[in-house]
Amino acid sequence: MADTIIRASGFGKRYAGHLAVSGLDLAVQRGELYGLIGPDGAGKSSLMKAVAGVLSYEQGQLEVFGQLLDSERSAEAIKDRIGLMPQGLGQNLYGDLSVEENVDFFARLRLVPRAEAAARKEQLLTITRLAAFRQRPMKQLSGGMKQKLGLVCTLIHAPQLIILDEPTTGVDPVSRRDFWAILAELIASQGLTALVSTAYMDEASRFTRMSVLHQGQKLAEGSPAEILQRAPGSIVLCRAEPQLEAMRRLSAIAGQCEAMGPAIRLFLPDMSAEQARGRVSTVLAGLDCQQLDVLEPELEDVFVALLATPGANGQQAQTLAALAAPRQALDSSALAIEAKGLSKRFGDFVAVGDVSFQVRQGEIFGLLGANGAGKTTAIKMLTGILPPSSGSGMVAGADMKQAGALIKARIGYMSQAFSLYLDLSVVENIRLYAGIYGLNRQQTALRLAWILDMAGLHGHENDLASTLPMGLRQRLALGCALVHQPRVLFLDEPTSGVDPLGRRAFWDILFRLSRLDGVAMLVTTHYMSEAEHCDHLALMFAGRVVADASPHAMKQQLLTELGQLYQVRADNAAALVAPLRQAGFANVSPYGTALHVLTLETERLGMVLRGLGVGQPPQVRPISMEDVFVQRVGQLEAQKAAQKGSP
Amino acid sequence: MNLQRILAIAAKEWREIVRDRLFFSLAFVVPALLMLLFGYGLSLDVENIPFAVVDHDRSAASRDYAYRFIDSRYFRFHGYAGDERMAGQLIGSGEVRVVLVIPPQFGKSLAQGRPAAIQTLVDGSFPSRAMTTKGYVTAINAAFSLAAVAQAVSHATGLSQQDALAQLTPIALESRYLYNQSVSSIWSLAPKLIMVILMLSPPFLTALGVVREKENGSIFNIYASNVSRGEFLVGKLAPYVAISSVNILLLWLLAVLLYQVPFKGSLLFFLPATLVYVLCTTGIGLLVSVLVRTQVAAMIVTMVVTMIPAVLYSGLIIPIVSLGSGARLVAQLMPAMYYTDIVVGCFLKGVGLLSLWRPLAILAVYACLLFAIGYRLFSKRPNT
Repeated sequence: MADTIIRASGFGKRYAGHLAVSGLDLAVQRGELYGLIGPDGAGKSSLMKAVAGVLSYEQGQLEVFGQLLDSERSAEAIKDRIGLMPQGLGQNLYGDLSVEENVDFFARLRLVPRAEAAARKEQLLTITRLAAFRQRPMKQLSGGMKQKLGLVCTLIHAPQLIILDEPTTGVDPVSRRDFWAILAELIASQGLTALVSTAYMDEASRFTRMSVLHQGQKLAEGSPAEILQRAPGSIVLCRAEPQLEAMRRLSAIAGQCEAMGPAIRLFLPDMSAEQARGRVSTVLAGLDCQQLDVLEPELEDVFVALLATPGANGQQAQTLAALAAPRQALDSSALAIEAKGLSKRFGDFVAVGDVSFQVRQGEIFGLLGANGAGKTTAIKMLTGILPPSSGSGMVAGADMKQAGALIKARIGYMSQAFSLYLDLSVVENIRLYAGIYGLNRQQTALRLAWILDMAGLHGHENDLASTLPMGLRQRLALGCALVHQPRVLFLDEPTSGVDPLGRRAFWDILFRLSRLDGVAMLVTTHYMSEAEHCDHLALMFAGRVVADASPHAMKQQLLTELGQLYQVRADNAAALVAPLRQAGFANVSPYGTALHVLTLETERLGMVLRGLGVGQPPQVRPISMEDVFVQRVGQLEAQKAAQKGSP
Repeated sequence: MNLQRILAIAAKEWREIVRDRLFFSLAFVVPALLMLLFGYGLSLDVENIPFAVVDHDRSAASRDYAYRFIDSRYFRFHGYAGDERMAGQLIGSGEVRVVLVIPPQFGKSLAQGRPAAIQTLVDGSFPSRAMTTKGYVTAINAAFSLAAVAQAVSHATGLSQQDALAQLTPIALESRYLYNQSVSSIWSLAPKLIMVILMLSPPFLTALGVVREKENGSIFNIYASNVSRGEFLVGKLAPYVAISSVNILLLWLLAVLLYQVPFKGSLLFFLPATLVYVLCTTGIGLLVSVLVRTQVAAMIVTMVVTMIPAVLYSGLIIPIVSLGSGARLVAQLMPAMYYTDIVVGCFLKGVGLLSLWRPLAILAVYACLLFAIGYRLFSKRPNT
């Protein structure tokens, strides 16, 4: 077929004995926004680099624009028609060069005629709203702006195929939505074909078609709808007291069953909504059931269902057997962390301003915010690493100003990078942390056994940490942070780079720690879907806490303020944005092949859509934490801009 | 080769270098700084050796003997020490490096024509310095002995003391040092420092500059575009060669103006020859950069492959002819030695192309070879 832009057959890539991708078949048609979804190490980057002709491969064949890529020379033949944006925030750009100089460099490198380059540059900078920052050095841009500049630089020579490797990783949700909207607009207006990878499952519905990759293998391929059909069934979201008993009963009937704060979410394969509702009601009989909603499965559920192997199920069964009863009487009213008016100033810059919140013993508390919102600074102050400029705080019963050493002995801390010694084995890592916290021989032996049990590390005792898969490595890091049985645990972006299965296992452990052992947890995360696992959330913006409530309450507030979220399906969805905005619907955004509209005026939306010739009625979609985050930050940014505008 | 692409890459590179404060100082400040630090710190002259005297005699003769040392420019008098124990402490604490112990009855023995023994204690912790020191002591001691004998002879024969001295030394040694008349070590050192610094700085800049792109991923802009390997390498390396060319002039000026080293050769030969050397060392940087992946590795590897040959196998400290046969072979395989011939020849000997065409040709071949290997190994479609 002439219009197949990329064709891979039996593609495989090996690095020093380790197989990154094998036996992959793939075909991307002209005009598609084709997605590669999978966690770190799934083989996405290898495939993308090979397609761009910048990485050699050993197995199978790869054709791009009908050109077989089998040598450096043949790869050169396609490079005038492609644009590659490698992984990393602005990593392929030049930090000391201004926005404009970066664009000009790419234009000159690609020999774009001067007049054409100038015209394209203006057009692209306008679309990406970077025109106002053209003199600013790249390194001073925010993450989202860097990625938009990367896109401009990739597109300056009008390629036919663009290859974007995780363009939204590390970018805050607001900028991520912005990026996808711009990308959709550019693909439609420039007739591009795009191969885009992402580690965020919730971005999948934005692709025309996609492949779900895991450990170098293709798990599924197709449009989002087709992939969802691979694992039919229903999701039940319910709240029942006591939660532990409900959890025990429900995990017996469903392989995928996870606690979401006070609620429980489970996936019942091959069941209709009615069947699922009935089944859960029967199982929960006798408990105080406060809420029971049935939802459609999301891609992540499908992914986990496709991946779920007998081994993984076995492990969950084992962990849930431990859910008998609380091991100790919990005093859930005791405060584990209390921040009162915490501030940190660096010169004129206020990194954290007047932050107050409380975390109870046994509670999972989430701190959300974009990069630079002040999350890490707040954690550093509470753990006694950084002295506050003003304000006070109590952590694990000690004043953080006076009792820094005492606090450090009572808390556990797990950082983004997992802070493991990769050249030490599992047991050596645990022993090292036990030594650092001054455990004696007997205590060390006890904790070692406990950690191996908790993290499911049996059989890996003598493996080097560097050889462990990310999920296990993460659980080992958690174990090391828990070696001295802290009452309070700080987790700074603990699930970056871990696959959905690993993330779920991890949250399952956190749930047990909080409910059974009464450990209080403060978690920061940029996965909005994970925020729903928390009992309570604080949203940080520009160094301040701007919302402090449970995830459920935050969603309810958005519903009452701005209304329901509707999904509008139409052939010409992108073209409907402008008329809908004109009709007074402010919150309209393109979402894959559909539109998302947030409004209180349900009936008027239906009428306006019928007037625009859309046959299908808008469907109600559940609001996600990401919607809440994007709306709140959007409002705050608008306020800030208004304040600046009127001095 | 497309000039526009080369210029685009070179201009980008240049802007990055001048805007990155660290890189800028690495490029322009560090070479001059090295010249100053090495120039003042690496002086091989042994002068002003601190010494003390233990005088058990306290006679006119013993004072006379001590003054021979006190007056010498090679020694600096620290003072008299009471006894050997105190003298030992002075040496131990490093306050003095030599102690002369004059025995009792020293003056009387000399006057009676009996031999007298002076004990010299020399700090031997730096063998080469100790040997030089011992040489000085021996020479001064010999001069004193000779004068004493001459005095005795003149006393016995009635000859004037001067004639007696002349009779006693029938062979007078007249030495003249060629190329470096005052045997000042900085004259020979400064030109060789130019060799060392131009061996270190260009490969460091080049390796870091290329590997930086590999490490942060911007190299993919090059891989994924239709820039050819040659265009990239020329555009990328040109700014570094230009910077090193500026440094050639800077270092030359420092040698001539600050260290007052005479420049007897021709700049018209020296500058192009040095440029060939810089191309050669830049080629070393290129080779390192295609072989390693991280800036840290680039720094360590560059350090090892440039520093050691530049210091040990170049004739900087040990003349090549004094090296063992194995070491000499190593030196002959390294470019540093050939440039040492050129730079010393230009500064001190005033010779030009006629006598130095061989080392220059070898450097040129070396440079071509390094670039050819670098070009060959650089791939736009690597396997990792």
